[in-house]
Amino acid sequence: MRRLAALLALVLVGAPLLIAPSTAVAALGTAAMLLCGLGIVVATPVLVAGIVLALGEYTLALWLAGGPPNLGSAALLGIVLVVLLETADFGRRAHRAAIGPGLLLAQLRAWTVFAGVTGTGALAVSAAASVASATIRLPWAPAIAAVGAAVTLVGVALALSGRQAPPRD
Amino acid sequence: MTMRLTPLALSVVTVVAWGLILGVLSGRAELVIVVLPLLLGLARVGRTDAPRRWSLARALSAERVFEGERVTVSVTVTADERVPLLELFEPLPPTLRLVSGENRALFTLAPGGSVEWRYEVECVRRGRVGLGTVHARHWDRAGLEASETSVTLPGQLRVYPRPLRLRRLPGPRRMQAFVGNYVAPSVGEGIEPGDIREFAAGDRVRHVNWRASLRFRRLFVTQYHQERNADVVLMLDTLTEAGAAPATTLDASVRAAAALITGYLGRKDRVGLIEYCGPFRWVRPSSGRAHQERLFEALLRADVMFSYVTQEVGLVPRRVLPPQALVVAISPLLDPRFEKALVDLAARGFDLVVLSPSPIPLVRPTVRPSARGDLACRLWALERRARADALLRAGITIVDWDPAEPLEAALAQLTPARRRRAAR
Repeated sequence: MRRLAALLALVLVGAPLLIAPSTAVAALGTAAMLLCGLGIVVATPVLVAGIVLALGEYTLALWLAGGPPNLGSAALLGIVLVVLLETADFGRRAHRAAIGPGLLLAQLRAWTVFAGVTGTGALAVSAAASVASATIRLPWAPAIAAVGAAVTLVGVALALSGRQAPPRD
Repeated sequence: MTMRLTPLALSVVTVVAWGLILGVLSGRAELVIVVLPLLLGLARVGRTDAPRRWSLARALSAERVFEGERVTVSVTVTADERVPLLELFEPLPPTLRLVSGENRALFTLAPGGSVEWRYEVECVRRGRVGLGTVHARHWDRAGLEASETSVTLPGQLRVYPRPLRLRRLPGPRRMQAFVGNYVAPSVGEGIEPGDIREFAAGDRVRHVNWRASLRFRRLFVTQYHQERNADVVLMLDTLTEAGAAPATTLDASVRAAAALITGYLGRKDRVGLIEYCGPFRWVRPSSGRAHQERLFEALLRADVMFSYVTQEVGLVPRRVLPPQALVVAISPLLDPRFEKALVDLAARGFDLVVLSPSPIPLVRPTVRPSARGDLACRLWALERRARADALLRAGITIVDWDPAEPLEAALAQLTPARRRRAAR
């Protein structure tokens, strides 16, 4: 499972290099890969740091490349991101544990179904957003985006705060 | 049992937040799309309930084993409903060592499904080992939520001290009244020929010594030495111990005691056990297999117990410490209270042998090698020798035993030493 997570991390870190192959992107990508590798082995917070760095690398690559937004590849990268987090976490849990029959197959099936559903959802949302952006021109778009992001985060925080505190590992 | 968020959920939220911040700052829509699957994944939170109808059963391949033997632990999980992901963890006490398999497992179970999980442990130290609690954690498929519970299962393992091989045992000087394997000085029924005397009314014809009778032209009969058993009392020093488990002086003493118990009971002797931990704890001398079990159970409990109480040997009842008994004291001679008890026993005229497992080779591996450590060990060895000499002068036979060496080799020194002492 750790190998699969490492492969996904490699995809996450390597994709921005395909968008803008520059030294700065490669440097950020190397650092992100190191953190991701360490995080897969050691702990999820280190992996999160690596993923955040990989997102920074992706942002830099997009900024350097410029051009119109490519939402399809972004949705695929999102799926890689979520499956990476889940596989790395599962790999850490399954490390030095006896694995029951059919468990790995069931997990892979669950991730595949989830990737399919979320991928379709993300593509649908991005398609809707593209259509909307072509027809509606909003004034102060950056400000609205910032407010939207803040509202989303607060909404997620409120939704999750209903649940109890996480158990300590 | 309620499902709670795991650290993974917080990690997902963190990545989402960073993605949105970077998206807003850079003004690129791709970053929002990247974190969209993560947001959709969070929608799964709260959709899984902890399964309630599942059960655990545990079986051990053996419940009574000796040190060094292996036991297979089988845990069977049965579920009446679907269990997406169940993590089980069985913490092992320090007296058990995992040999094969894992003591943590992850399962998925279909409704009505059952799965068996096995691992093998090695019993490294004597004692009663409780494999009591199995910790269970239910996860959802994504690992975003989990609930925890503990299940107490019956399962106790009795690990008896490893028996050391012994062919020769210290022989007692005095015998008891019951039939045994020792040739007693007294004459009577037996197979070992003793003295010859003139025939008297009532003597059996088959005891007539025909060779002597023909020579002296009078009837003579052969007398035979009786074959008797002996009372052996093992006195175990549990006042203190040295070394690191499972190789402390007490562990070595208990193994030696187990070997002596097995050896003496095999010779039909009556064996008793006195544990001296300040106050006395004892098992009365007796013989037979059931008594061996009783003694081994007492050895399972033997442990160092700090006490301010120091009882005198005179307090031990005669039925526990018979006057004719051979007393085998097993002690590293670290506590002066035990030495005082030995001197007291010798003064009371007991046939006393001291088997002293040396603490030096057991402590040596636990300290860092250094010249100072070497010097300390040499000084310690000299001090032990001086103490042993002092006890020797008090008429006590001492056998110094390096627990790394076979017990039999140590006891082999004892026979000539006891013979010399008897000659004096």
